[in-house]
Formats: sequence, structure tokens, C-alpha cells
Amino acid sequence: MFEDHEIISTIEMVKNENLDVRAVTLGVNLFDCISHDLSRFKENIRKKIIGHAGQLVDVCDRVGEKYGIQVVNKRISISPIALVGAGFTPDQMVEIAVTLNDIARTVNIDFIGGFSALVEKGMATGDKALIAALPQALAETQRVCASVNVATTKAGINMDAVFEMAQAIKKAAELSREDDGLACAKLCVFSNIPQDMPFMAGAYLGVGQADAVINVGVSGPGVVKRAIERNLANGPLTLGKIAEIIKRTACKVTRVGELIGREVADTLGIKFGVVDLSLAPTPTVGDSIGEIFQALGLSHIGVPGSTAALAMLNDAVKKGGAFASSHVGGLSGAFIPVSEDLNIANAAEKGFLTIEKLEAMTCVCSVGLDMVPVPGDITEHSLAGIIADEMAIGMINAKTTATRIIPVPGKKAGDKVHFGGLLGEATIMDVPHLDLKDAFVTYGGRIPAPIHSLKN
Amino acid sequence: MTKLIITVLGKDRPGIIARVSQDLFDLDCNLENVNQMILQGQFAGFFIAEAPASLTPETIQDTLARKSNGNGLSIYVRVLDPADTAAADGELFLITTIGPDQKGLVARFSGIIADYNANIVNLKAVFKGGTDPNANVMIYQVAITQAVDAQGLFAALRKKAEQLSLDVRIQHKNIFDAINKI
Repeated sequence: MFEDHEIISTIEMVKNENLDVRAVTLGVNLFDCISHDLSRFKENIRKKIIGHAGQLVDVCDRVGEKYGIQVVNKRISISPIALVGAGFTPDQMVEIAVTLNDIARTVNIDFIGGFSALVEKGMATGDKALIAALPQALAETQRVCASVNVATTKAGINMDAVFEMAQAIKKAAELSREDDGLACAKLCVFSNIPQDMPFMAGAYLGVGQADAVINVGVSGPGVVKRAIERNLANGPLTLGKIAEIIKRTACKVTRVGELIGREVADTLGIKFGVVDLSLAPTPTVGDSIGEIFQALGLSHIGVPGSTAALAMLNDAVKKGGAFASSHVGGLSGAFIPVSEDLNIANAAEKGFLTIEKLEAMTCVCSVGLDMVPVPGDITEHSLAGIIADEMAIGMINAKTTATRIIPVPGKKAGDKVHFGGLLGEATIMDVPHLDLKDAFVTYGGRIPAPIHSLKN
Repeated sequence: MTKLIITVLGKDRPGIIARVSQDLFDLDCNLENVNQMILQGQFAGFFIAEAPASLTPETIQDTLARKSNGNGLSIYVRVLDPADTAAADGELFLITTIGPDQKGLVARFSGIIADYNANIVNLKAVFKGGTDPNANVMIYQVAITQAVDAQGLFAALRKKAEQLSLDVRIQHKNIFDAINKI
């Protein structure tokens, strides 16, 4: 039997601290669906994905109910469409996206990820077709997520791809003008993209993975925040002690994710992959990374000290999670998505968090410039420059970084934008010098891979 | 050898376990399990022991009672059928209720659990009254076998909790293991 306090504190985590499993993502390999014939290819992927995912939502709900822990999102990641659909034209790629959207609706999941290409060293025919198809594919679908990896630590940064992605983002925003550029909320540009990530919009199933696999993304910023507050209420603590509290809490949260992920995988008869140890916020009070900063004694996320606090938080989460599970992967860290976190969105609105500080903080967090709404009249050049800067941080530091920037058509810095649901709402961030057309990003070619010694 | 269960009840004080176990040792009994708990200052202890075939349960009870005479302990000895010692099967769920104290809570909830033929393997109930939400808590650990209509049971418990303005949580035991045990 358990101690009363163990039971009560567990119930508190679920009831008042928003402990849940953020995402159970079923990865499905589509290489055996390849065909030169588009209708046959579409039929093959429909059959294979539905065959594996038909019961996904039902099983997640049942397992969630059994343990009293909600599985908030059920999702699917697939092999990169630029590879499995390499022979198709951009128009045909759009048709594939529409089919994927329809499959997602059929199996009742909110997002399917893997409309993706890996182009860090160069672009093949399929990659070019996919990137050309991106704006229309994302504007015409609601549930398809896309990602393009343009840089790695070992390959460098493909600057042709960076500029093309800036153009694609601008075009996707324009095509979804009515929805404030919502298409761009489903598009990530990556450096060092992980193959097994369960979180959208970047999830895809890498080529080195099993035929079908369950990956789990945990949540729990509210639990971490309350743990810090509870301990601080008993008297002052050193940061070393606070890091220890975060580590222990992350350990508990991770074990919940693994328990539920493994049971879903076993029930579906599918291999269990990894737990992604990320602290993923939602636009809800009490489920926020920004609030953790306030618990740590900073008035707002973004003020001086924020990068140090985030470094400590991110590292403690990784340490606690790595101890809790032997199969850890994905992004694993703390997310700082602007519109998806009410507290971060407020800090940005009030000017405590600027885009430059956000970029600095991405040097130590697990993702990058995530869900950042910017003025719609930003030039392709400035947008490409921001993307290139973010990719460079990932490349040099041998870590994943990404951008999910939404240039909101017809809106200026300070205007409100509302994406709805988990994507949240925010005030458009000010981007200094957004009207420049500097030549640097148009030179093309590849920024060479960095040296791996002489680190300073 | 005969397997016996010895129940000891009385006001808690130092030395009860020492007294009873020494007496059993003197009677050449071999202890297999001992468990004790204290509720509001009252001691309850359970001893499972193998006794020599030459001793009847009555002899043992008389001896233990005589030796602890004056200590205010009530001692009962009963023969245990080995077939009755198998652990309960089924998956373990924790049913926790939190909310205002009122008469008959345990009777109502345990009644529902019994109606569905599910077995309570552990129960802790604390009713302190007052406004602290965590001061009035029932925690049932219930074994749910394949034969039990779990969905029906859980629905009935949730309905009853709603009628009584209680917050009820029904969760598989493994979630508590995952969070609290390493």
C-alpha cells in the first residue's frame, strides 16, 4: 500500500497541476507503399496507415482512463513524403497531402506529420517537388504537418533551401491569409531534426526506425512549477536544490509517459520507441513554461537571467527523464512556443520577451523560435536571415533547433493573432529591420559543417 | 505442524510484539508473517505461525492469554486452511474519494464494490471533518478480476460520488508505482 501523501500528491498532479500525456504518436513507415502510380500510392498509404492506426484513439482513451491520466493528443508520423513520393510532381504532392488529411480525419487524429524533406546537403527531385507543394498543401489541409531539415552539424547549412523555405513560408501565409497565416503553424524548418520525435509540427518517422512504432511526448510544466513553489514555501532554496527538485519531478512525469506509452504499444501490438522528455505547455493557466520562470524568481520570461534559468531547467529535465526511462529520444527539453504558452505570449506582448532574447534562449532550450507570429510584411530576406541564424545555433552546438514562424498577412507588430486550440493566441512580435533585402541569404550554396575540435 | 492466525487487540504500548512473539517462541511456534497497525491509539496485530501438531489452538490461546493477563490484550487463535492463504488475483485499482464527511460513506461505497463482487484488499479511511479537502479521504485498493464488470462498477461509484458531492478518482495501481516508487 502507498502512503496517503503519495496517493494525494499523485491525484493533485492530475487534478490541479495538469499532468497528462501530451502526445502518443504512432510512427508508420511508408516505404513499402511506394508506387509510380499516384492513385495506387494513395491507396497503399491509406490502407497501411489505417491498418495500424484504426484503433489508436480508442486504445489511448482506454489506457488513459485506466490510469486516470489523459492522453491529450493522438497523432501519426510517417516516412518523409519527399522520399516515398519522390517521383511525383508538386501538384501530385498536394494531392498526397489532401489524402493524408483525409486519413487523419478517418482515424480521428488532429495531426499527421511527415510531409517532410531532408535537404541539409542538397535537394533531390522529390525534395524540390515537396517544397514547391508546401504552401498549397498546407493551405488546403488542416491536419497535415510539414517539416524540412535544412542543416545538420555534420553537413552544414543548405542556404539554397533556407531561402526557398522563407519563400514557401511567405507564400503559405498568404494562401491562408483569412486564418492569419495558419498554414505556417504546421511548418517547421529544422537543424538536426530527430527521427523519433512525437511532437508536432516536426514529427516524422526516420528511415532507421521500425515499421511501426509508438513514441510518447510527456507534458508537465504545471507539475514542475508547483513542485518548485511548494518547496520554496518551506523556506529559501539554492538553485542547486531547485535543479534537484526539477530533476525528481521530471523523473515522475517521464515514468507516467513511459507506462502509458508502453501499454498503448502492447495493446496495439506495436513496438515502443521513445519517451520525449519535453515540458510541453498549453495555452492554459497552470500549464505554462513561462510560469516556471516566475516560480524561479524572474518577473517574466525574457528578462535578464532567463537564459540561465532555461539552461538549468532544460538540463534538469533531461537528467531526471534520462534516469526514469531507458529509451529517451525526440527533442527532450523545455519548449518555449510563444503563442502556445499563455504566460510567454503575455511576456512577449508586454515587451519583456523580444525576438532577439528568444533567439538567445534557444541556444539552451530544446527547440527554437516556435510559434512566433511576426508582421506579414517581413521580407523573404529577413525571414531567411532569421531562419539561417537559428539553424546556425543548432549546427554549431550539435543540437536540434527549429523555426516555426508565422508572418501574419496584413498585420503589424502589436496586433493580436488567434490560431485556436493548442496553437493558442499571441500578439505579433516586433522584428527589427524586417524590411531589409540583404544579399547574404541569396548567395546560396552551403555554409560548411563546423570543426569538431578547438571548441570555444 | 498446524498453521494458525493469531489476532491481538488492545491499547497500544511498548512491548506488545515482543511479548507475543516471545510467548510463541517459547511454545516452539515458527512465525511466517507479522503485521500490525495502530488506529487512534489502539493496536491490532496479526501473526501467522506454524505450531507443533502436539499443541491445540485452544492451548496456545490459553497460554498467550495467561501470559499477557493484566495487559488488557484480547487474543484470538484460529486454524488457517492453507487453501485460504492464496493471494487475491485480479488487477489492482485505487479508488480514492475526497470530500465532505457524512455518515455511511464506507458502507455505501464498499456496498457498491461488494455488489459487483470486487474484493477490497486494502482500505484506509480518514474523516477529520473541517474544511481541508484532504481531511476526509477514503482510499480503497480493489482487486478487479476478469469476472468483474469493471465499467459498471466504476460508473456506479462515480454516480454515488456525484450524489454525495465527493471527488472520486479511479486509477490502476501501476500509476502510483510509476510516480512514487523507483
